[in-house]
Parts: sequence; structure tokens; C-alpha cells
Amino acid sequence: MRLMLALVVCLLAAEAAADLENGRRVFAATGGCTCHTNYPGEGADAPSLAGGRALETPFGVFYSTNITRDRETGIGGWSDADFIRAMREGLSPAGENYFPVFPYPAFTGLSDADLVDLKAYLDSLPATQRENRPPDAPFPFTWRAAVSGWKWLNFEPGRLEPNPAKSPVWNRGRYLVEAAAHCGECHTSRTLTGGLNESIPLAGSRDGPEGQLAPNITPDAKTGIGQWDRADLVWYLETGLKPDGDDTQGLMSEVIEHGYANLPAEDLEAIAFYLRTIPAIENAVVAD
Amino acid sequence: MIRLFAATSFAALLALPSLALADGDDPQVQYRQSVMSIIGTNMAAIGDILKHRLTMPGAIANHADQMAEAAALIAPAFKKQVAAEATDAKAEIWQDWAKFEAAIEDYRSAASALAEANRSGDAAATGQAVRTLGKSCGGCHKPFRKPKEESYKNR
Repeated sequence: MRLMLALVVCLLAAEAAADLENGRRVFAATGGCTCHTNYPGEGADAPSLAGGRALETPFGVFYSTNITRDRETGIGGWSDADFIRAMREGLSPAGENYFPVFPYPAFTGLSDADLVDLKAYLDSLPATQRENRPPDAPFPFTWRAAVSGWKWLNFEPGRLEPNPAKSPVWNRGRYLVEAAAHCGECHTSRTLTGGLNESIPLAGSRDGPEGQLAPNITPDAKTGIGQWDRADLVWYLETGLKPDGDDTQGLMSEVIEHGYANLPAEDLEAIAFYLRTIPAIENAVVAD
Repeated sequence: MIRLFAATSFAALLALPSLALADGDDPQVQYRQSVMSIIGTNMAAIGDILKHRLTMPGAIANHADQMAEAAALIAPAFKKQVAAEATDAKAEIWQDWAKFEAAIEDYRSAASALAEANRSGDAAATGQAVRTLGKSCGGCHKPFRKPKEESYKNR
């Protein structure tokens, strides 16, 4: 009888426990949460995921936050529900708005299970004590209450539901591109209010992260990546090497190295498959 | 009329040097770009084989050998500092020549390691060595090549 009870308890615990391996996969799909590590400021030895990275935006400089499991300065004290609310609704455990430099408009699409697994994976990594740094931006862009107006204009919370008319590989690719890998946060240009310009999705942005140009990744042959085939895309996400043999620079090289390169082959294939099905948009992205 | 003539002549004089630079035909720069394209073409060929799973026995090691050999061409090609618009070489190359040479050596050794891994027949080690080699390109490009935002190609 005792043995039976113990078995039942074990089975229940196993069901409730987060899947660390899936958490690692979701982490890779986000690009390794690389914006939360200050590689540009502190080099390769920067404390992983401890924040402090300066993120230049047209609205000022924001600093990424500490997402290690440190209880005082990181997210170690958060419940699963806190984590889901932050990622899905852009709200802190205390109910304050996060600035939309945190790409919750994309992460809102992640499933509850993936979010819980991602949190468990983050909780399995080392803690670093480091206080978060307030933004260097003019009023009203530092006013968290004003973000409510931004959200009303530009943000629709909710999981990304599969499209039953499409294949599983298309749906997986869409989920990865639109939610987890949050490609549009850099590769879609923005409107005057800082929302994504949905009329030209993924067609590149001159105001990419950290002042970088984010290329057009639609299948347009002239200005996008229409000349890349499926294998080129998979190879690129695995290695950072372009079809002409050149390497990748900027934030993209980091999100590949710490994230996408660690995805299983089927996920890279799904991303490549989906990206080749989105509308081709002619939009040359060049410096000012 | 004289004033207009003087003004336009002066403007033309001012424009002259930049016109000459914008031409971008400096033979030293062209040579540097040719050397870089030897390296890039070999890297692309290695990518072609691996991403399409082509059966090309010994080819990856051969390309990697060529990349390691081409390493010796880089420093002499950049020795002379040429100021021209049509180049993405950063002044840091000549400000920190020792660091530039160290980055080239990292690249050479990564190319040799790839040749060795491929000759051993270990596919996983070959894949890892390709990533390390690709990263070594960035090890030189990040500090010493202008990012695309500043590239003459985007002007």
C-alpha cells in the first residue's frame, strides 16, 4: 500500500515538474535571452543574464534587467504566475508596466507550458546579485504609467493559437518566429508611437537594436533574403555564416551563438520553412 | 558674374578630393578585398558542402588548408594604411597592429584545426570546428571592420 502511494506521489510530482530540457529549448529559441547579458560593455566574461546592457532606442537608453534567480535583485522570488504575467502582459509582480523594450508583445504568444519550463531553466542557472539600472531617457518615456497608453495603442496580449488550415511545420515555424524568437522586434520597423509597423512585417528596420540596421528577412529577392534557400537559412541560424561565407555581426551574432544555434534541427527547419512563406516585401534597409 | 565664377570654382575645388576618394579604385584596397574574397569563397564552399550534405571527400580539409594558407596574405595586404572611402577597414588595425596579427593567428589556427578535424573523419568535430572558424572571422571583423551601419556598401 505504501509503495503504491509512493508511486502515485512520484507520478504526480513528475507531471507537475517543469521540463528542464524543454526550458533549455525555449531559452535557445528566444536567442538565449542575450539582451540580458552585457557582452558589449563587459566582454565575454559578463555575468550571464545579470542585466545592465544598454539598449539604445529612439526613445532613450534602457538597461536590461537581472533575470538570474537571485532573490533580491533578480527574479528568484517570482512564482510561475508572476513569470507568466510578466511575459504575457508586460507587468511586474507588483503590477507595474514594463517598458516595451522588453519584447512582451512577442512573448505574449508563448504557451503556459513553455513559459513555466523557461522559468525552470532560468532557475537552474547561477544567481548573480546586481541591481537593475533605471533608464536614461527623457520624460515621459521613463514614466511607467504612460506605458498603459502605449499598450492600448500597440499591444494585444494572448497566446498565439495554431492555424488549423496550415501544416504543423508552418505552425511551429510561426510560433518560433513570431513569439519565441521575437524576430519582428528588431526586423520590423516601428511607427511614430513605437509600435511595430504591421504593414511591412519583417521587412527590416533602420532603427534596429543598439542603433544597428536590421535587414529585411522577407523572401524579396532584391532587398530581402529571397535568394537564400531553406538550407542557407538553417545553416545561417546554426553557424552565423551567410551564403557568401561572410560572418554575422552585431546583436544577431550573439542571439545565434547563445540561442538559435542550440535549437534542434527540426526547429531550425520550421523557422526556415515559415520565413519562406511570409509575404515578400521590397524594402531596402540602408543607413541614414 | 565673377563672384559666381569664383564661388563655383571654389566649390569645385572643395569637391575634388572627395570625388577622387569616392572613386574607390585604390589598388591596395582592391587587393585587400581580393584576399578577403579568397577566404570568404572557401568558407562559402565549406558551407555548401555541409548544408546540402554533398559528398565531396577531402574537400572540406582542402578548403580549410587554403584558408589557413591565405592567413599569411592578410597582414602584408593591410600593412600600408590607405585612407579611402570605399573600404571597411577601421583605423584600429594600424593603431593596434599586434592585436590585429593575434586575431589573424586565431583565424589561421582555427582553419588548421578544421582541416585536421575533417581529415579525422569526425563529423561532429568538423561541425564544431566550422563554428569556431566562423567565430574567428568575427574575432577580426568585430574590432577591425566597420559594421554594416558604417559600411561604404550601404552609402
